[in-house]
Amino acid sequence: MINMSVIKKKSKLSFTAERFLAFMARLLRNKKSAFGLLIIIFFVFLAFAAPFLTPYTPLGEDPLEPIFPLSSPSLPPTWLRYLPTWLGGNPDLSENMRVVNNPGRPSLDEFKFEWEGKGRVYAYVDENLGYPKAAAFGFSRFSQNGSLAISYNRKAGEQHNITTAKLYIEFDWPYSGPAGRFIGSISMLVNGTTTDGRLDVPIKVKVYLGKIDGKTWTVWPIPTVFGLTNMPIGFKEDPNLRVYDPKTKMILARFPWGIDKPMSGWSDLGGWIISRSSPESRAGHIDSDSNNLVNEYTEFGKNSFPARMVFTGAGKYVYGLELTFLDQAELNKDVETTVYVDDFGLLIYGTSFGLLGTDHQGRDLFSQLVYGTRISLYLGILVSVFSVLIGLIVGLAAGYLGKFVDEILMRIADLLLVLPGLPLLIVLVAVLGAKLENLIILLGLLGWMGFARMVRSQVLSIKERPFVEAAKATGAGRFHIIIHHVMPSVMSLVYISLATSVPGAVTAEAALSWLGFYDPTRMSWGRMLNAIFEANAITNWWWVLAPGVCISLLSASFILVGYALDEVLNPKLRLRR
Amino acid sequence: MGLRAYIAKRLVNSFVLIILIICLNFAIFKLMPGDPTAFLMQAWSKEPPEVRREQEQLIKSLWGLDQPFHIQLIKYIRNLLAWDFGVSIINKEPISHALGWRLPYTIMLIGGSTAVSIIVGVLLGIIVIQRRGGLIDSTAVTTSLILGSLPTFWLGLVFILIFFVNLRWFPIAGGHPIWARDYPVLWSYNVQSSAETLSVNLSLNALEAWRLVGGYLYHLFLPFLTLTIFSVGGWLLLTRATMLETITEDYVVTARAKGLKERTVLFKHALKNASLPIITSAALSFGFMFQGAIITESVYSYPGLGGYIWLAIQFLDYPVLMAIFYVTALCVVIANIIADLLYGVLDPRIKYG
Repeated sequence: MINMSVIKKKSKLSFTAERFLAFMARLLRNKKSAFGLLIIIFFVFLAFAAPFLTPYTPLGEDPLEPIFPLSSPSLPPTWLRYLPTWLGGNPDLSENMRVVNNPGRPSLDEFKFEWEGKGRVYAYVDENLGYPKAAAFGFSRFSQNGSLAISYNRKAGEQHNITTAKLYIEFDWPYSGPAGRFIGSISMLVNGTTTDGRLDVPIKVKVYLGKIDGKTWTVWPIPTVFGLTNMPIGFKEDPNLRVYDPKTKMILARFPWGIDKPMSGWSDLGGWIISRSSPESRAGHIDSDSNNLVNEYTEFGKNSFPARMVFTGAGKYVYGLELTFLDQAELNKDVETTVYVDDFGLLIYGTSFGLLGTDHQGRDLFSQLVYGTRISLYLGILVSVFSVLIGLIVGLAAGYLGKFVDEILMRIADLLLVLPGLPLLIVLVAVLGAKLENLIILLGLLGWMGFARMVRSQVLSIKERPFVEAAKATGAGRFHIIIHHVMPSVMSLVYISLATSVPGAVTAEAALSWLGFYDPTRMSWGRMLNAIFEANAITNWWWVLAPGVCISLLSASFILVGYALDEVLNPKLRLRR
Repeated sequence: MGLRAYIAKRLVNSFVLIILIICLNFAIFKLMPGDPTAFLMQAWSKEPPEVRREQEQLIKSLWGLDQPFHIQLIKYIRNLLAWDFGVSIINKEPISHALGWRLPYTIMLIGGSTAVSIIVGVLLGIIVIQRRGGLIDSTAVTTSLILGSLPTFWLGLVFILIFFVNLRWFPIAGGHPIWARDYPVLWSYNVQSSAETLSVNLSLNALEAWRLVGGYLYHLFLPFLTLTIFSVGGWLLLTRATMLETITEDYVVTARAKGLKERTVLFKHALKNASLPIITSAALSFGFMFQGAIITESVYSYPGLGGYIWLAIQFLDYPVLMAIFYVTALCVVIANIIADLLYGVLDPRIKYG
């Protein structure tokens, strides 16, 4: 007995599979539906493969460096470089670049070190000491123990002199155009022998950046001409270095941005945001009165932009730290000053980014596009299933049960059909909140009426067929008849409606998001289009086209499949040709 | 049931429907979280409590919030039926006044493009039906399907990109050129009395008048094109579908057999009998006019009702949202009545009741 039923089940299963395959073959023979199915499969692939296609999240910053934005805002895509100028191409576009690969643990493999002068300076990697707040500072990936120590020492009786040490990295800038912006960072800890609480050998710090065969710029201390704040972020000590006469304790000289006390903790001198290359996004102001601090920049005038001034063309560039040890101590003393350097890095932001550029908050548009597929498919399919299910139940109930039930259900459907859908949806979304789940429920609840009417009229005609009469005569219950005799004949309608109600939901979501009713926790295609107006970036045609083309393709594919289903499942249409 | 009784029944039904819509409208905004009194009381938040209490009483009696629920509802229904929607929160403009001057823009844009797309769509549908099964047929059907599934606002954005950003052919914002503000035409922002307006209109010379009309049309063109391209495919498909039914009917075969011209057969026999669903959906699409206006007008910042509702959404101007919601529903109800009546006029076979 058991064996028999298994065989029966098996044959039934294989019969269903066979029929399904034959149906699919017929569907694929139709050019329209084959095209539609291909696009749907493509989008499903995108939705599932999104994490593998893009390393970024649609709403997030760079997951590796959460403090800094992924990129500058509203940038064009990189491939625009290869387009001719009349198509909007720009051969000068540059890309993001990380100059120091491992700033969390600076090593002498990556940096070069040299010094000149009469003192003795040597550099070594200190395994234990390191800037502890590296994660908070941004380079979370590089939060490691260890720092690079640069130590000056002189034995008693040795000649003293001003000694300069340089720690630098050379890199290639392959782009003909300037960078968009650069952000440097450095944390330091200074320690050494002291007299009266002051370092015997005070130091002067300078971070420089420039073309090797061109001009080199001091980027920290921040030159006034760059027009930004002079105070380094997080620097708690008095940045002015005073050199005292050891006998009279009088100040002999002042050096700006020097360090003359041993530091109790790490100071991050950097994380300074130096510059942008476009005038409209420039921050800060220029205080021409304080130009006496650094004179070498004045020749460029007030409206120059550091990224543009520093990066003048393709070539070899250098980024380095210059430490000047100002040894003024007594000769008969062993003196020593050690500077620990950590998180010494440089991020260069290009003037283009990724496959689709960035939005107004510097987020990657391509990952927004890829992840947006998930939202549209999720919403479209759920709404379609939801509304078709309601429509099916209402249609079956109204059609088969008739009378009072029919009257009530159809009046509700009429009322909902008469209500203006979009304003109602807007009001309800405004009231309930623009969560994606709310939208799915609302679209489902507002989209079943047409289908219910179709099912009802179909059921009305089937109800009178002899096989239903026969079933009734054999004593079948209402529920049994509806499920086993009536429902199979409306299933073709169900399939068609499942396909054709997806595009409506997808475009409705897009329209609502575009109007500003988007789910703030998700980045959908509609919201991407909304952001164009927020960013005032209608001229960025790649941004305008990409989400719209995706919405249209997805909608069109479902419509084409639905239309083809209609042709396949309703042979009457074919005969009419 | 005769025609008169049928009309009466439809009118009563529609009236009940309108009351239901008003109640629903009332309920949605009543159930909404957030207390309007608390919002209005923010201005007095620094006053001592007794002053605040007094003020709160004043506000409640002023807005009728101290009255029982059913009285509020009845007053609301009465006000809406009397076309009194209160004032907008944004600029304190009476909403009925705003509707008055914005309505012509929407009718010009949506009404015009609906009419054009119906005519073009039906004509194209007839052309397609003559060549059914061929390459033109399948191309037209596929194109219509794809055009109909495009998001309208995106089509608008693309047009802005092409015609405004790149070619600089057409303007994108507003419903008229800036200089047209000097002529207080029938619909304009600052018109108070229509008598004054009319006299100014009459004093325009022909050249000025044409320039003015041209200016309006110039601003109308892009949104008009967007809407027409979006909806023309639907009419083509509808015409094609309904004519597929009639073109194989016996009376069409008979007409052909009689030796009538193909054009006569198509228009007088096939199209006339297929026109029923077309005309009813035409009536309905005019009814749903304002709904379609929201998206298109927001893209082009067109000053019609759609632009108004968009503004209202941006600032959550609930009185305006309520009013627009009501007006749109009203239009749909009226369009439904018209569609029902047209049914009877066009097809004498239909029995009322």
